[in-house]
Amino acid sequence: METARRVVITGLGAVTSIGLGVEAFAAGLREGRSGVRPITAFDTAGFAHANGCEVTDFVPEEWIERTDPAELGRASRFSVAAARMALRDARLTDADVRGRASLVSMGTTDGESRDLDDLVAAQVERGSEHVDPALARRIGAGRLSSGIVAELGLTDVEAVTIPTACAAGNYAVGYGFDAVRCGDVDLALCGGADALCRKTFTGFYRLGTIAPDACRPFDRGRQGILTGEGAGVLVMESLGSALARGARIYAEVLGYGLACDAFHPVAPDRDGITRCIRLAHRNAGVRPEDVDLISAHGTGTKANDVTESGAIRQVFGESPPPTVSIKAMIGHTMGAASALSSAACALAIDQGFIPPTINHTEFDPECGLDCVPNEARVADLRIVQNNALAFGGNNAVILFGRYQER
Amino acid sequence: MNRSEPVSVLDGERKEKIKDIVCDILEIEPAEVTETSMFKEDHDADSLRAIEILAALERTFDIVIDQAELSRMENLQGVYAVVDEALEA
Repeated sequence: METARRVVITGLGAVTSIGLGVEAFAAGLREGRSGVRPITAFDTAGFAHANGCEVTDFVPEEWIERTDPAELGRASRFSVAAARMALRDARLTDADVRGRASLVSMGTTDGESRDLDDLVAAQVERGSEHVDPALARRIGAGRLSSGIVAELGLTDVEAVTIPTACAAGNYAVGYGFDAVRCGDVDLALCGGADALCRKTFTGFYRLGTIAPDACRPFDRGRQGILTGEGAGVLVMESLGSALARGARIYAEVLGYGLACDAFHPVAPDRDGITRCIRLAHRNAGVRPEDVDLISAHGTGTKANDVTESGAIRQVFGESPPPTVSIKAMIGHTMGAASALSSAACALAIDQGFIPPTINHTEFDPECGLDCVPNEARVADLRIVQNNALAFGGNNAVILFGRYQER
Repeated sequence: MNRSEPVSVLDGERKEKIKDIVCDILEIEPAEVTETSMFKEDHDADSLRAIEILAALERTFDIVIDQAELSRMENLQGVYAVVDEALEA
């Protein structure tokens, strides 16, 4: 391990329903802003309720410089825009990135399923010959990462899209972390992206997991998720690279754990989550008592929150650290979820605050966690844990730390 | 559970259709299932299969079934009763 390098976060990009860009996102987290509104992405006739956390003020041309947005699906537009935001935040030019060995990894649940919705609708209503070739060309999920590569004109780069559903953002960040740590690359652009679509909403609705009005993680009266959309991208580089160019350092990536328990197609398994958290702690060299904050998967479903809480208590004992879910604010952004919560963790460490779990009305003793209800809290955070749990028991947990000289 | 008997609007044809749907989704032969054999215990169904059955019934009969009814849809008899009520609603 003598060659293992320290990995730091030096730029953040965020496309969310509570703000575009890192400043707006950070302000939204601090204020406890809600991105909830009636869904307009598709016709919601026939659903008894259809609120979501849609990004409504996104103009791709304002962020994307070299690529024609018409060649990108909605999720890829988010992805490319978030990468642009993150590089700008890191004060890196395209030439800076081209001059370094780099990696782009993006996580996703649905890829360009918004386009798939449209393609299927055209096929069903009018026949296969009416399928739009322009849409068909852009649906490959690989475009989420290769779109960034094309936008930046990179050549010495690995581009990977990791489709591990609702834990995909953490998978992508972990993948980049390994590549920087072991010296394969000097710079990694990592995160996740997804766009609201009819297929995903309908699937979750059918499972009975869509909340009628708002998402209330860890609340006794919680009724489920609200689907959201957006993208989060982190610029990660070796500590040496960051120090050499005098970069601002938000936080250090300490390590992560992956564990797939394959216990059930959709039901989370407490012991599987516990195993993943312990793997992450071991990889990061962190003890449970060192963790100051947990950014939970916290979907707001009955099953997730009680199961995740149980796993947290298995690891942390009877007094776990504050445990929040930003999904109350931005909805469940699927593949972007843990990328955006990774960004939130980095901001929390850097700015010294805990984002609140909004919409909270009643403490749930079955969860029994301090979810920092409704109001952000000032906090001195040294180590923060970011949980991501996906269907199939495909889990990923990352540990972030405040950067300190050793 | 015996609600389907006296006032049922379910005829033999509809019952056969329901049985076909259930067997198709549970991937079993019609001969294996009885009105009282349990989907979960006897036919390896799980909660996702149950939702599939519910969704297929809604589409086939153009009805709405509340998800809370899933707990009653544990065998064919239960499904007949739930569909019967939904058709009358």
